[in-house]
Amino acid sequence: MFKLSIATMFGHKRRLLSTVMSIVLGVAFLTGTYVFSDSLRQRFDDLFSSVYTNTDVVVRSSQQIDAGQGVSQRGRISDDLIAQVAAVPGVTAAAGSVSGYARILGHDGQPLGVDRGMPNFGMDISDSPLSVWSVRQGRIPTTSTEMALDAGSYDLGKFTLGQQVTVLSQQGSRTFTLVGVVGFGTADSPAGSRVALFDQTTAQDFVGQAGMVDSVQARGDGTVSQSELAARVAAVMPKGTETLTGKAMAADTSNEVKTSLGFFNTLLMVFAAVALFVGSFIIYNTFSIVVAQRRKENALLRALGASERQVESSLLGEAVVMGLLGSVLGLGAGLGMAVVLRAMLSAVGISLPAGGLVVLSRTVIAALAVGTLITVGSAVLPARRGAKVPPIAALRDVSVEQPSFSARRLASGLALLAVSVLLVAIGLTGQMLILGGGVALGFVSLFVLGPLLARPVARLLGAPLARFRGTSGELAQENAMRNPKRTARTAAALVVSVALVVAITVFASSTKASIRAIFAKQFTGDFVVSTQTFGFGGLPTSLAPQLSKLPGVGAATGIQLGLGNVDGSGTFMAVIDPATAAKVFDLDVLAGSIEALDTTGVMVSKKRADADHLVVGSPVTITFLDGSSHTLSVEGIYGKDELAGPYTIAKELYAQSGGDQYDFSVYITMAAGASAAQVEQELRTAVAPYATAKLQSRTGYIESQAKQIDMFVNLVYALLALAVIIAILGIANTLSLSVHERTRELGLLRAVGASRRQIRSMVRWESVITALLGAAQGVLVGILLGWAVVVALRDQGLTEFSLPVTTLVMSLILAVVCGVIAAAGPARRASRLDILTAISSE
Amino acid sequence: MSSVHAPVSPTSLVGGPDETTFAARTVEAVKLYGSGSNVVHALDHVTVGFERGRLTAIMGPSGSGKSTLMHCVAGLDALTSGHAFIGDTDLTTLSEAELTRLRRDHIGFVFQSFNLVPTLTALENILLPARLAKRRPDQQVVDAVVDTVGLRSRLTHRPSELSGGQQQRVAVARALVGRPDIVFADEPTGNLDSRAGAEILTFMRTAVRDFGQTIVMVTHDPVAAATADTIVFLSDGRIVDRMDQPTIGRILEHLRSLGG
Repeated sequence: MFKLSIATMFGHKRRLLSTVMSIVLGVAFLTGTYVFSDSLRQRFDDLFSSVYTNTDVVVRSSQQIDAGQGVSQRGRISDDLIAQVAAVPGVTAAAGSVSGYARILGHDGQPLGVDRGMPNFGMDISDSPLSVWSVRQGRIPTTSTEMALDAGSYDLGKFTLGQQVTVLSQQGSRTFTLVGVVGFGTADSPAGSRVALFDQTTAQDFVGQAGMVDSVQARGDGTVSQSELAARVAAVMPKGTETLTGKAMAADTSNEVKTSLGFFNTLLMVFAAVALFVGSFIIYNTFSIVVAQRRKENALLRALGASERQVESSLLGEAVVMGLLGSVLGLGAGLGMAVVLRAMLSAVGISLPAGGLVVLSRTVIAALAVGTLITVGSAVLPARRGAKVPPIAALRDVSVEQPSFSARRLASGLALLAVSVLLVAIGLTGQMLILGGGVALGFVSLFVLGPLLARPVARLLGAPLARFRGTSGELAQENAMRNPKRTARTAAALVVSVALVVAITVFASSTKASIRAIFAKQFTGDFVVSTQTFGFGGLPTSLAPQLSKLPGVGAATGIQLGLGNVDGSGTFMAVIDPATAAKVFDLDVLAGSIEALDTTGVMVSKKRADADHLVVGSPVTITFLDGSSHTLSVEGIYGKDELAGPYTIAKELYAQSGGDQYDFSVYITMAAGASAAQVEQELRTAVAPYATAKLQSRTGYIESQAKQIDMFVNLVYALLALAVIIAILGIANTLSLSVHERTRELGLLRAVGASRRQIRSMVRWESVITALLGAAQGVLVGILLGWAVVVALRDQGLTEFSLPVTTLVMSLILAVVCGVIAAAGPARRASRLDILTAISSE
Repeated sequence: MSSVHAPVSPTSLVGGPDETTFAARTVEAVKLYGSGSNVVHALDHVTVGFERGRLTAIMGPSGSGKSTLMHCVAGLDALTSGHAFIGDTDLTTLSEAELTRLRRDHIGFVFQSFNLVPTLTALENILLPARLAKRRPDQQVVDAVVDTVGLRSRLTHRPSELSGGQQQRVAVARALVGRPDIVFADEPTGNLDSRAGAEILTFMRTAVRDFGQTIVMVTHDPVAAATADTIVFLSDGRIVDRMDQPTIGRILEHLRSLGG
C-alpha cells in the first residue's frame, strides 16, 4: 500500500514540489528564527564573557528606571567609590567607567552611524587591566584634547590617526585629536554602536557628569572567589548601590542586548506562524483534490479488499513523507534565512559579533515536528473522506464534487460569524485578547461560509470577463464556479495574507492620520529642530534659549524626555520650559497654567488625574535616576496627552534628577509679522553647527513624524509578501490539478477550434477570478480587522480611522497580477496538451 | 461483386477534374508509430478522397488505422509523410494556429463520448465554435439545426442533465451549425443504445440530404455504416475496399470475407 502511494507521489513531481514548497517556507521561517536567535545569544554570551573576563566585581547604582518600550536607564554613582572599592582587602585593581550619548562626525560633517540603529556613545578608557577595550592601533587618550575610536567607527569614517575629529554631546560639539583605535573584546564595536573614547575626567565632563561614574569594576587577587569578593565589596558600599560578580554582569549585559533585539524574534515567529497557517490550507486543498481525483483508484483498492483504514493510512503515509521532505528542505532554507537576517540587521547598522551558526537539536526537532505535523494534520480530513469511498464507485463513472447548497454549512457558518461579531464587539472596549479571538473566529466562519460565497461571488467577479473577454472569459467564469468548495479553499490562503496586509495598511494609515491630527491640534508653532534620537541623547539644552533670541523667532521651546519612577513604576515625563512651552503647544489646559509650573509641582493629564483621583494640590512622588525622591503637588491638569503623556514637569526640576540633559527637539513659533523664508534662513544658520539637528517646517515635521511608521510597515510587508507567495503557489497547485482533471474537456475545446491562446487565457482568467475572490474577502476582513484594532487602541492615541483607498485598490490589482503569475505554468501546460491524447484519455 | 471497387489508384486522385469533387482527401498518407523494429504502420500510403455532399463511412477491424486516418484528415494529428487536404488546403503546410483556425471554421466534430463542455448549457455548447471564432452564428441555421435534432426544449440544460442520446444530439448540432465543409464523426453511436443511435444516424442523413453536408464517419457498426453513401474499408493501414450504396447484408458479408 505504502509503496504504491510513494510511487504515485513521485510520479507527480511538480505537484509534489509545489505542495511541499508551501510547507518549506513556513518551516524555513521557524528554523531561521531559531538559528538566528540562538547564534545571536551564543555570540553575545561569548562577547560579554570575554569583555568581563578580567572583572570580578561590579558596583553600580541600584536605581533603575524602566519606562517600557525598551527604554531603561540606570543612575550614576560617585567616583569616590573607586578608591573605596580599591581599599577592600583582596582587590588588586578598581576602575570606574563612564558612558553617555555622543555622536562622532565624519569627514562630511554628518554624524557617523544610523539614527535609529544602535545607540551611539562616548565612554572613558584607561590602561587599567579592567578595561573592556583592547588597543589595536596608537595609544589610549590621556589629555582632555585626545580621543580614541572603536575600530568599527574608525573604518566606517575612514579616519587616520593624528587627525582632528569632532564629537557632539549634551555639552555641544568639541574637537579632539585621534590618538588610538580600540576593539571591544574581539569585536570591532559593541553591536554596531559608534563609540568615542576619552580619558576619565574628559568623559565625565563631556558625556557624563563631573564626579560621577556609571559603575566601578574591581579585580581580585585570586585569593577569594568572585562571590566572596563581591560580598566584601558590598559590605562597604553605600545605600543606593548594588554589587554584582563579573559573571553576573556579563550575563546581565548580554541579556540587555538580546532583549533589545527580542522584538525582531517575536515578529519572525509570528510570520512563521502565518506562513504555516497559510501553508496548511494549501496542503488541505491539494490533498482534497488529489483524493477526489483518485476516487476511482481508491475504490478499486477497496473493492480488492483494502480496508478503509488501509486506504486512509496509505494517504496519510504520503502526507508524512511530504511533511518530512518539506521540513528537511525548510530546515536547509532556514539556515540560509538566518544568514540573510544577519545581513539585513547589519544593513540597518546593527552589526553582530562574528561567529558560525548555532543549530541546536531543539531547532531540528521543532522544524521536523512542526512541518510534519502540520502537513499530516492538514491531510487527515481529506484522507478520511478519501477512504470512505464505496468500492462500487470503482465500477461506476463517478463525477467530480457537485456543487450543493448545504443548509448545515450555512447555519454553522452564520453561527460562528455571530459569535465572532459578539467577541469583536466586546473586544472593542480594549480587550485585545478577546478581540483577537473574535477575529480568528471570523476567519474560521469565512472559511466555513466560503464555499457558499464562492459561486455567487465568482459569478459576479467573472461577469465583466465573460462580457469583455469573450468565450475564454465565460468559460473561466464557469470553471471558477463549477467547484465552489475548491475555489473557496484555494482563495482562503490568499484571504489570510491579504487580510493581514490590509489590516496593517489600515492600521498604518490610521496611525499617520492620528499623528497628523494630533500635531495639527496640539502643536501651534511654525518650525521644529529635531534629532532622530528617541529617548537617548539629543540637542544641548542651550540651543532653545539661543534660538529664542533670533529676531524672527517669537518663542523657541525645547522638550526633554524625562524618566522617573512614580509609585514604583517607571514612566516617561515631558520636561518643558514653562515660560515658552505654552506659546508653541496647546495641551488644552483644564486647570492651572503651564506658565505657572515650578520646581515643586507637576502637571498631569486628565486621564491620569481621573485614574489616580488627582486634583490640583494632590501630592505626586517622583523618584529620579539619582535616587532622589520629590514629592510634588499637582499644579495643573491638561486634556490632550498624546504628545505630553501623563506627567509634565519643569526643566529646572529635571536638572536636579541626575539624568542627562538633552532636548530631543526644539519647537519654534515665529514672531508676529516675520517672514517665514527669512526666519527659516536665520534658524538654518543658527543650527548649522549642530550636525544632528534637523530643521523642518511645521508641515515637513508633521509629515516626517507620520512617516516614522513606514519603516515598520515596510518590514511587515516584506514578511507578508512570503505569505502571498505561498498563496500563489497554492493557486498554481490547484490550477495544475484542475487542468489535469479537465484534460479531456481541454482536448475537446481544442478540437472544436479553441486556439492555444484562448485556452491559456481561459486558465489565466480562472486564476484571476480565484485570486480576486480571495483578495476581495481579504480586503473586507482586513478593513474590519484594521478598524477593530484602531478602535481598540483609541486610548493609545489612535484617534483617527483612515482607509487608504489607493493601497486597497492596489492590492486588488496585485491580486490580478498574482492570479496571472499563478496561472502561467498551468495555462502553458493546458495549452500544450496534445489534442489526441487528451480526447482519447480515460 | 460488381459494386465493390478495386482500391482507388493514386493517379486518379491527384490533380485533374476530380479535385473539386472531394471535400477532403489524402495522398500517399503514411503514419508511423514507434521506431526501429517496433515501428507500426498505422497508415501505409493511403490515398483516398471523401466526396462532397455525401456520407462516407470508414470501417475496418480494431487497429486497422481508421481512427488514425480520420484524425490526420481532420488536422488533429500530423502525417509522417504524404499529404492530407481539406478542400484545396494542404494540412501538412499549416502551422498549429492555422490548423486550429481550420478546425474551427471548416470542420465539425462528433466524438464517441465526452463531446460537451460540462459547464456550458446545450445551446452554449452548440454555439461554442462560432463564439471561439468570435463569429455571430446564423440564427436561421441555428434554428433549423436545433429543430432537426429536436432539442428546442432542452437548450438551457447542462450536459449532466441530458441523457446520452440527447448529449450526442447536441454534439451533432454543434458540428452542423457552423455549416462546416466537412464533419468528422468518430463512432458517434458507439456509446448509445440502438434507438438513440438510430436517431443520430437519421439526423446525419438529413443533414446530408437537406443541407448537402459532407460527413465522414468512423464506425465498426454495420447498421451505422449501412446509412452511408459510400464505405471505405481499411485493414493494416491500407484501403482494401470501397462499397457504394451499402446494405447491412452486403457489409456483413464483406466483413466476413475480410475476416476470413
